[in-house]
Amino acid sequence: MKTKRLVIMLCCMIFPCWMMAQTRLITGTVRNNSGNVVPAASVLLKGTSNGVSADEAGRFSINVSGKNPVLVISSAGFGSQEISVGSADDYNIVLNGTGQLEGVVVTALGISRKERSLGYATQQIKGENLTLTKEQNVLGSLAGKVAGVQVVGASGASLGGTQKTKIRGVNSLNGNDQPLIVVDGTPISNSNFGNSNGNGPDLGNVAQDINPDDIESVNVLKGPAASALYGLRGQYGVILITTRKGKRGAKKIDVQYSSAFSIEKTGNFLPLQDIYGVGNNQTFLVLANGDKYVNGNDESWGPKMDGTPVRMYYSFYPQDAEFGKLTPFIPHPDNVKDYFRTGFNIVNNIAVSGGNENMSFRLSYNNAYIKGVMPGTSLTRNNIGLNSSLDITKKLTAGANINFANNKATRPSQGYQGTATGQVQWFQRNIDMNRLKNYRYADGTIMNWNVNPNTTTGIITNNKPSDWNNPYFDAYANSNDDNRDRIFGDINLSYQVIPGLKLAAFLRSDMYTQNISHKEALGGRLDEGYSVTKYQNKEFNYEFLAQYTKLFGQVSFNANVGANKYTRNVSSVSGATVGGLSSPAFYSLAGSVARPNLSSFILNKEIRSVYAMASFGYRDIYFLDASIRNDVSSTLPVQNNSYSYPSVSASFVFSELTKWKPLSFGKLRASYAVAGGDVDPYQTRNTYNVGTVYVGPTATINTLSVPDRLNNAGIKPSFGKALETGVELKFLNNRLGIDFTYYIQRNENQTIELNVSGTSGFATTVANAGLIENKGIELSLTGTPVQSKFFTWNTTLNFARNRSMVKELYPGINVYQLDNNVYSSVPIFLNAAVGKPFGSLVGQAYLRDSATGQIKLDAANLPLFETNHDFGTVLPKFTGGFLNSFKIWKFDLNAMIDFQSGGQFFSWTKMLAIKSGQAEETAALNDKGVNVRETPANGGGVRVDGISNATGLPVTAYVDARSYFRNTIGTRIYEEWLFDASYIKLREVSLGFNFEPAMLKKTPFKTAKLAFIARNPAMIWQKAPKGLEPSELSYGSGSISWLEKGEFQTVRSYGVSLNLSF
Amino acid sequence: MKKIHLFIPILFAGLLLLGSCKKFTEEDNTDPNRPTKASGTQLIANAEMFLADMSSSPFGVHYPQHLSNTSFTDNSRYTTIYFNFYGWYAGPLMNLETALNSTLDANEGPIVNQQAVAKILKAFIFWHMTDRWGDIPYTEALKGAANFTPKYDKQQDIYNNLFQLLDEANAAIVTGNIKNDIMYGGDMTKWKKMGNTIHMLMALRLSKVDPVKGAAEFIKANNNGVMAANTDNFAYPHLADPANENYWYNQFTRLGRNWFAVSKPLVDYMKPLDDPRLPVFANKNTAGNYVGLDYGLPGSTTVVINNYSLLGSGLRLQNSPVYLVTYAQALFAKAEAAKLGWIAGADVTAKTNYDLALEQSIRQWNNNDISGLPLFKSHVEVQYDPLTAIKQIATQRWVHLFLNGYEAWAEWRRTGYPALVAAPGANGNQIPRREGYPVQERSNNTANYNAAVGSFPYGGNDDLNARVWWDKP
Repeated sequence: MKTKRLVIMLCCMIFPCWMMAQTRLITGTVRNNSGNVVPAASVLLKGTSNGVSADEAGRFSINVSGKNPVLVISSAGFGSQEISVGSADDYNIVLNGTGQLEGVVVTALGISRKERSLGYATQQIKGENLTLTKEQNVLGSLAGKVAGVQVVGASGASLGGTQKTKIRGVNSLNGNDQPLIVVDGTPISNSNFGNSNGNGPDLGNVAQDINPDDIESVNVLKGPAASALYGLRGQYGVILITTRKGKRGAKKIDVQYSSAFSIEKTGNFLPLQDIYGVGNNQTFLVLANGDKYVNGNDESWGPKMDGTPVRMYYSFYPQDAEFGKLTPFIPHPDNVKDYFRTGFNIVNNIAVSGGNENMSFRLSYNNAYIKGVMPGTSLTRNNIGLNSSLDITKKLTAGANINFANNKATRPSQGYQGTATGQVQWFQRNIDMNRLKNYRYADGTIMNWNVNPNTTTGIITNNKPSDWNNPYFDAYANSNDDNRDRIFGDINLSYQVIPGLKLAAFLRSDMYTQNISHKEALGGRLDEGYSVTKYQNKEFNYEFLAQYTKLFGQVSFNANVGANKYTRNVSSVSGATVGGLSSPAFYSLAGSVARPNLSSFILNKEIRSVYAMASFGYRDIYFLDASIRNDVSSTLPVQNNSYSYPSVSASFVFSELTKWKPLSFGKLRASYAVAGGDVDPYQTRNTYNVGTVYVGPTATINTLSVPDRLNNAGIKPSFGKALETGVELKFLNNRLGIDFTYYIQRNENQTIELNVSGTSGFATTVANAGLIENKGIELSLTGTPVQSKFFTWNTTLNFARNRSMVKELYPGINVYQLDNNVYSSVPIFLNAAVGKPFGSLVGQAYLRDSATGQIKLDAANLPLFETNHDFGTVLPKFTGGFLNSFKIWKFDLNAMIDFQSGGQFFSWTKMLAIKSGQAEETAALNDKGVNVRETPANGGGVRVDGISNATGLPVTAYVDARSYFRNTIGTRIYEEWLFDASYIKLREVSLGFNFEPAMLKKTPFKTAKLAFIARNPAMIWQKAPKGLEPSELSYGSGSISWLEKGEFQTVRSYGVSLNLSF
Repeated sequence: MKKIHLFIPILFAGLLLLGSCKKFTEEDNTDPNRPTKASGTQLIANAEMFLADMSSSPFGVHYPQHLSNTSFTDNSRYTTIYFNFYGWYAGPLMNLETALNSTLDANEGPIVNQQAVAKILKAFIFWHMTDRWGDIPYTEALKGAANFTPKYDKQQDIYNNLFQLLDEANAAIVTGNIKNDIMYGGDMTKWKKMGNTIHMLMALRLSKVDPVKGAAEFIKANNNGVMAANTDNFAYPHLADPANENYWYNQFTRLGRNWFAVSKPLVDYMKPLDDPRLPVFANKNTAGNYVGLDYGLPGSTTVVINNYSLLGSGLRLQNSPVYLVTYAQALFAKAEAAKLGWIAGADVTAKTNYDLALEQSIRQWNNNDISGLPLFKSHVEVQYDPLTAIKQIATQRWVHLFLNGYEAWAEWRRTGYPALVAAPGANGNQIPRREGYPVQERSNNTANYNAAVGSFPYGGNDDLNARVWWDKP
């Protein structure tokens, strides 16, 4: 008794709860007349102010008292219904009415809310819309489906590569503004183990461990108001994923099976010339014996491929069948294309779900296999998911959501000197790709094209390629292997103390072990070697939540108080051999010839938080929410590590007050919120770096050095402040819907690694700097233009426009370098400069005459350049998507289009294809109809128009093509290699057929659907030239996608999928 | 009653979480992956690892035309204009500055000696930098958060500061070796000579602009004791270890780049003189001859590598040392100073030092083998001639400084010898006279950058053609 009193007292201290004498507990489920649950209905004890609201599953519990109590159950769009409470404790309530089921969305901390009560923008997508075409990375399938969410993907050739998500533009100076991913309330890691420099394999973001077939719905919380309760981890928005669960109710078992098979083909190749072959001038080289030959040069500025008999690379290998032979010098127009193969993708998923009155259960297994379009690459993934919950007693419920994922791949490298992506950059147009396929001779010698013969003997003496391996050697002998085992999910207990008051405790975790290794075989450009990294990540959230809901007549009240302890522990060990391997193909650190490079890494972080939230509603028309949170983070200096931040939001469902028939729903909303942020660990105290060890003849010297980054013991937390307002309108029985949001967000005091003048002794310093302002609008239009028995057309158009502006940086510093790229010692910088849009590109441009804008030319009539030209922002003007679904008789047709306007990117591939004389335009006809490769004296040359820098007079001249393309614009004029990133892309198409139950009578199936699916079938329009892919610029962990330096070839896939339920 | 008990653990867990909001300590956020302490000599040793870069550069080696490019000739055609000096400041100089400003450990050798070595290295690196870029941040540099935008000091002031730094080092050195020294194994007598030798070479650099100051500093340094044998040479000892290997080994062998041939001007000068160093500097071509490659060819010219002499194999072994400051340099300097009248003895002293310089240079390059010396010296052109002494000294120093491109380039700018012709059509047919500042300075340190460029001693733009202070036209 004592304990009970104590507990009740405690509860009364936390919540204003009114205890009643002589009460008993009644439970029930609210459904509509077709048997579907009606979530969030109001349940009121008639004649009192005692009421509760049902949960998302339609369930409620309420204390009743008095004689012959009557419950009044109502929900918007349905009539209200009265039920006399008899002796039974549990009631099934059926509401009549034709009203649409009212939307209930999952919000922060897993709290289900009526959509109408929210004072901020969220957008929800159903799971079936994410798996239209079986896209395997759930973030990739969000592209275009949510207004204000920009997804920049990677080619399918990367095998589950990076899908970079940004909500409402760029909100952080360092660009690390990826939203938090939450699965059934558990925040999970979305790290990326790819290189940030765009080289090597793209391992993708690890949110791809979520099984897309397990997803019930995805809800995107876009601004701080929506995500304030996730604290700093949610400051850039939250993607809440709710998985499918078993259903409570009468005992029932469902079995779902789905399978999909698609073929993967490469597309969108850069147009190349087929006239001139290898060399840096048009004269053939000659061996001592008089034979014409071509060497291992990687430029195609050479002689015409006119069939002249020449010695090619293979003829210099005595092991080769054509050793010493002359073969015709001819083009191989498809040599780049020939490297790729047809891949396939096969996904199978089976799920068993069921439940009874007091438990629910779902178990699923998913297996995916991709054979990559690049030789030697593949990916295998397995997912097991288990969701269950059990009522231990009427009040106590235990649950568990456990996901296991395994991901194993052999991936291609991208970027400069990667596998096969290099053949567009530097290569010989005269090489037959198929001739390179058998890359190893019987005696073990590797056949290389990028090597030179001894001109006297005609034999290759130095078989080490200068810059490029045989691509098949890279594909089959030098592999990038990775695998990851992961478990994430939660176990939970919840207790319904009294009606309306629920206490819950959760233990949430996300644990994975990532292994990454690389083998470099003997005979290539680099030393034989092996490198391996083992990385272990453990995140735990210990969470407590008390929820209280109550109806007082017309007033609804909801309060939540919670506490959370978050811990993250990372440990990794990595090593790489040095100086070769002691025994061929002995891929082990123990095989290192010299002292191997070894390192270990530990990271520990902890955040302790408390938070509270209250919301009030009046007549289901007026709503007001407020929240407050305090975080204490281990990564901030002790004096600054505790900080609080509030949010407040309101909504007004004005349609309830108007009688205008066509308006079925109308709501105004507004919110103001602050979200705080900490920093990554270990940036407050200075330490030293471990330098190279000098293992000298007399002594071993362990050197240490001062790091280039200056840490800061005075760092403060950063805050994002957002003001948001919006309107939501539905017309004509919800046939037409408009959702509009305007927001302004100011992110202050960002902790960044500020680039400082190296002359200070440091390259960067950790500093609180800056104010970025984002303003934007989001518009989502939904409509059902046609609705009939045989034909229904549903359409959704999402549109978002965001402007990021850098308002302040740091005293005395007006430019923050976000990123840079250097080729051939010429840099281009991605900067955030005060007073300019975020992410401006600065680099070398044509020197132009200020009066006429004409290009200035030097004495040789080649264009001059200027440094530090501001090319403007790389961020898009607007983004969006257009989803159409048609139901025609038994057929479903879905088509997803996404688009982007503006933004720009720098393309190495295009620059190098021109520089190396491979691109089509380097051997085009000039305006005299003569090939530009011919000498200007013979009517050839590239026509250049401009103004002479010396005389100031206009000049029209014809200049040598190689001097122009290779040495001038390809080296110095970066303006030429910036391309507008606007595009309209058909991303997904599916055409399905739903079998009628009657057709399935003689089968064991309850439902069946067969669909033809296509992922990435077409780029409808793009501003950038053919061969470049503006929607697939992501690689690895780099934060802003602005650089293309050898991206994978676009992959288009076409297949069939089958869904069955038993 | 029993049921009520069930939720107590949940509530209790919640209260525990609520109550756990205590503060963290500084230790919780100290990086466990990096050391919090570094000894002075470990920092100095790390700074020493940058020294080879002063010589081993694919840019410096081209300005004085020691090497020509067989392919990818951009570097020999001066296409790079702006060079980044941030690595020197944030790398070795910040290590040295930290050692100079921290409490040193006497267990690693006399503290004054540790400081003296740090000062000598600091002076050596700043000297190299100011000779490349001219005016650079010095007095306000390396202050960390106290000054992220240091002003640029005049080269003249930097030279004066460096002379003073070397004076302090020379005066401070006591008996007793230091630990963790890659260059001299901690031998302080060698460090003392090294400090005074660079002091002397720096003094000579003022011959065009301020001979009075130059002569005074020269005499002082010479009197303090300079290098007296090739064993005193300051050379980076590379190892047969990928972590500490020679740059040219990396280029030729590891990367397979046969891109560097000995240049035609150098071979054409050395070959008629039967210079015994030529077989060290250059390999024979396939036909068995020493043939230098034309300097600064446009990239469209096909070079058949077999026809030319590539960089000598012995200079590009994995552990080939890199000579930075040498005894023969000191001898050439003394010869020139005597000829200029800075030190006593005029032509007699000049000849003595010049002859000894030739011998010691050959001993250095040819592993002490001077069998080729008599034939070489039988050529009149190399015999000391009072009428052409400065030219002879400068030209032979140019040969001696082979591969130490930046130093050879500085001496070429100062003396004008040998007469070299710029890469045809490159940089307006001019050989560079300085290197451009890093472009990052325009945004990171705008005001000071603009002030520096606006007050170049002899005008000009921030490019390859403006002159540094001592390079008086």
